[in-house]
Amino acid sequence: MSRLGVFDVSVRYGKVPALTDVSLNIGEGERVFISGPNGAGKSSLLKAISGAVPTAHGRIELDGDLLTGQSPEAIARLGLSMVPEGREIFGRLTVEENLRVGTGIRRDADAVEGDIAEIYRAFPILAERRHASAGALSGGQQQMLAIGRALMTNPKLMMVDEPSLGLAPKIVDQVYDTLVALQEERGLTLLIVEQSSVRAGRVGGRMILLRGGKVVGEGDAVAFADKDALTEAYFGKTGKEAAE
Amino acid sequence: MPDKHTQNRLLAHSTPLILALILLTFVAAVALTGDRALARMAAETLVRVTLVVGLWIFVGNSGVISFGHAGYMAIGAYCSAWLTLKPQAKALFLPDLPAWLASAEWHVFPAAIASGLLAAFVALVSGAAILRLSGIAASIATFAFLAIVYTVYSNWEGVTGATSSVVGLTRYVGPWVALAWAVAAIVAANLYANSASGLALRATREDEVAARASGIDQYRHRLLSLVISGFFTGVAGALFGHSLGVLNPDSFYLGITFIALAMLVVGGIGSLSGAVTGVLVLSLLIEALVRLEQGVSIGAAALALPSGAQEILIGVVMILVLILRPAGLTGGAEFRLRARTSRLSFDQEQTTTN
Amino acid sequence: MNTLAQLFFDAASLGGIYAMAALGIALIFGVMNLVNFAHGQYIAFCVFALIVPSTDAVAVVFLGRAPAFLLIPLLLAVGAAAAVASEYAVFRHMRKATPVAMMISSFALGFVIQNALLATYGGRPKAISLWPELNTPVTVIGASVPLLQVIVILTTLIVVAGLALLLKKTRIGLEMRAAAENFTMARLLGVRANVVITGAFALSGALAAAVALIMATQTGVADVRMGGQIMLVAFIATVIGGLGSLPGAVAAGFLIGAASVLLQAYLPLDARPFRDAFLYTLVIVSLLVRPQGLFVPSSAKPRV
Repeated sequence: MSRLGVFDVSVRYGKVPALTDVSLNIGEGERVFISGPNGAGKSSLLKAISGAVPTAHGRIELDGDLLTGQSPEAIARLGLSMVPEGREIFGRLTVEENLRVGTGIRRDADAVEGDIAEIYRAFPILAERRHASAGALSGGQQQMLAIGRALMTNPKLMMVDEPSLGLAPKIVDQVYDTLVALQEERGLTLLIVEQSSVRAGRVGGRMILLRGGKVVGEGDAVAFADKDALTEAYFGKTGKEAAE
Repeated sequence: MPDKHTQNRLLAHSTPLILALILLTFVAAVALTGDRALARMAAETLVRVTLVVGLWIFVGNSGVISFGHAGYMAIGAYCSAWLTLKPQAKALFLPDLPAWLASAEWHVFPAAIASGLLAAFVALVSGAAILRLSGIAASIATFAFLAIVYTVYSNWEGVTGATSSVVGLTRYVGPWVALAWAVAAIVAANLYANSASGLALRATREDEVAARASGIDQYRHRLLSLVISGFFTGVAGALFGHSLGVLNPDSFYLGITFIALAMLVVGGIGSLSGAVTGVLVLSLLIEALVRLEQGVSIGAAALALPSGAQEILIGVVMILVLILRPAGLTGGAEFRLRARTSRLSFDQEQTTTN
Repeated sequence: MNTLAQLFFDAASLGGIYAMAALGIALIFGVMNLVNFAHGQYIAFCVFALIVPSTDAVAVVFLGRAPAFLLIPLLLAVGAAAAVASEYAVFRHMRKATPVAMMISSFALGFVIQNALLATYGGRPKAISLWPELNTPVTVIGASVPLLQVIVILTTLIVVAGLALLLKKTRIGLEMRAAAENFTMARLLGVRANVVITGAFALSGALAAAVALIMATQTGVADVRMGGQIMLVAFIATVIGGLGSLPGAVAAGFLIGAASVLLQAYLPLDARPFRDAFLYTLVIVSLLVRPQGLFVPSSAKPRV
């Protein structure tokens, strides 16, 4: 049973096409990576799914609920959560306030408190700084906060856009370890935009390659960690031939 | 045969010709009817063209909304009054004028130029203070500037007559005089818009950061456009005073600020043709509404719009335009000839109100 | 006799009015980058809501006849309703417009409201008699000040504290603060844009009503032009305080109030009528020195 269905979605910024007829499916509990060169449309895909940008045409569904045409807040309430590129934490709010912004959509106050405690267990550094201004955190800490914040909406599907951006490799390791652990604990479905196919291969999961706004490859992430497969996907068969 | 790009650049100068032609036709048509009231309306309309085109030179190119231009109008208007009124009248009504000003009795044309120059100078000073601010903050600061001018002119009894009107200005501004100045303003506006400074300024209107990265000094260009804008706005003020014959600080406060902005917005804030179009369209609307306010008498029953209805309607029109078609009637495009075809057409330069 | 204490009360009460007016503007600007030029007219609207529509010179107090405990919440509701109505009518349709376009349309809206008041009530200022007993002087720390001034100062403190509490401790307050910082991100977390925006307008309108009550009582006059006058000061306070900063708006409001009172007290008699011109010149000077606002850290990037 597919959790997320994207059907023939196109996104345009004015006259410039960012995505053209992209289709994909993500099953429950899956871990899917989206990779591709700059400008391939990876962020646009996530923005279209989350409702941050409108689609020119196409349909997006989450567990049968129609997402296209809905406002971002309605989509969040349907069970989709997003950790955007650059984290975008609320710097002027405290760490704890950041975590609580998304809890407005939940009815179960006790479960909310339980979740907050859970996040603090998973990210002890956040617990230490719970009343500090979020803007004072380091990049890696902000990434943890952004993930924790997205989890607080109790999502079915969580999308993470470039978790490794601007972070030291060791920190990125930590971030991914946490993501994988959280996924296993909660049965979360994950959609991750990750520029480094090597990294994706190491973490493991399914990989969808985008180039020029279109899907150009799909398969096991490990397979795309291979340089040749990647070159072919990025530059097309001619790229390889041209190099010879 | 020059290449298409050069052709286009040269043909950009067809815009003032087309606009001048439209206005000329308008004035000629009115002159043919011989109707005095219509002639007055035509003169009023053309003075507004000078004003709104003057306003556009700054607002349209920089993207910064100025609420302070009525202040430059006031400065120009009273300057022309000081220079052209008979010394006897000035001695009576404006006793605190410095001697050289009180005894001055200039011809109206150099007085108009001087008014423009004084307003331009004040624009330079006020701009130096205000234009380093970011767009919205600068706009609010222009409001402060307007308030300063209004407060000073409404209280300085000996020099401006304060709240009592200054009367006796020579009413030399008929449709043809107003047309001449309107065309001058349009030509100047077009020249500036197509100059290096104008183009650079419009670049900053689109994207401040990118423009700065390209080495454009936004502040300097804003200042230049404001000074030129101030000149024509000051002249418009002088023309306004001399078409009415009477001056009062209240004429240069919120009412005229609102109307000028409305005309700019409705016509299309991005283009010179938009400025002119807005003036023509709204002037027609205002004329119609004024007639309705005076009452259309059908036998015994007299239908009249309550006072204030005119402004309400124009306000509503303005809001509707901003919601439905923010780029205005012209969509920010200019009336001009395009290269390699000699058909009149729209050339999309830009399509958003900034 | 201008004793220091009297000057203090004058400054604090005038500053309080300006601070509350500026707060109304800063709230909306913080949440949606909208400079609401119609705000002054919400204030005027509330003042005129107190009296029966007519063009007579002396106003017949209508709503204003209700006892205080009824009138205050009622007028606050009227103010909130007026602001929310204007949001539904105009600003809701401009969510994707540029800040400049929104600013111009708020200017147009203000003009429309002002002229609607003009058409309904006529242009002559009317006398209103609202709680005239509050203008009787009381003695506080040696100065003889109208009771109203003390009430204004207290009200401002209560309003500011109440607003701070609302923003810091309530759900809607949290959502507003998050939306003010990053609207899109807040929406991605389920924060409903309409709720936050309507809430901001309602608060803003209520603040306008509070200012209206004070001005009506203090001046005893309903004039269609009163909206424009206070609006200008409120805007200037918002800019000096740093656009979008609530504490900045409050501080700047008090600062301008103090400057205005001091100018009035110490300017030579001939220059007194030009007090406003001096005030606004000071404003422009302060903007030159610190364009980002007086109460914002230098490192703050411009919000617009």
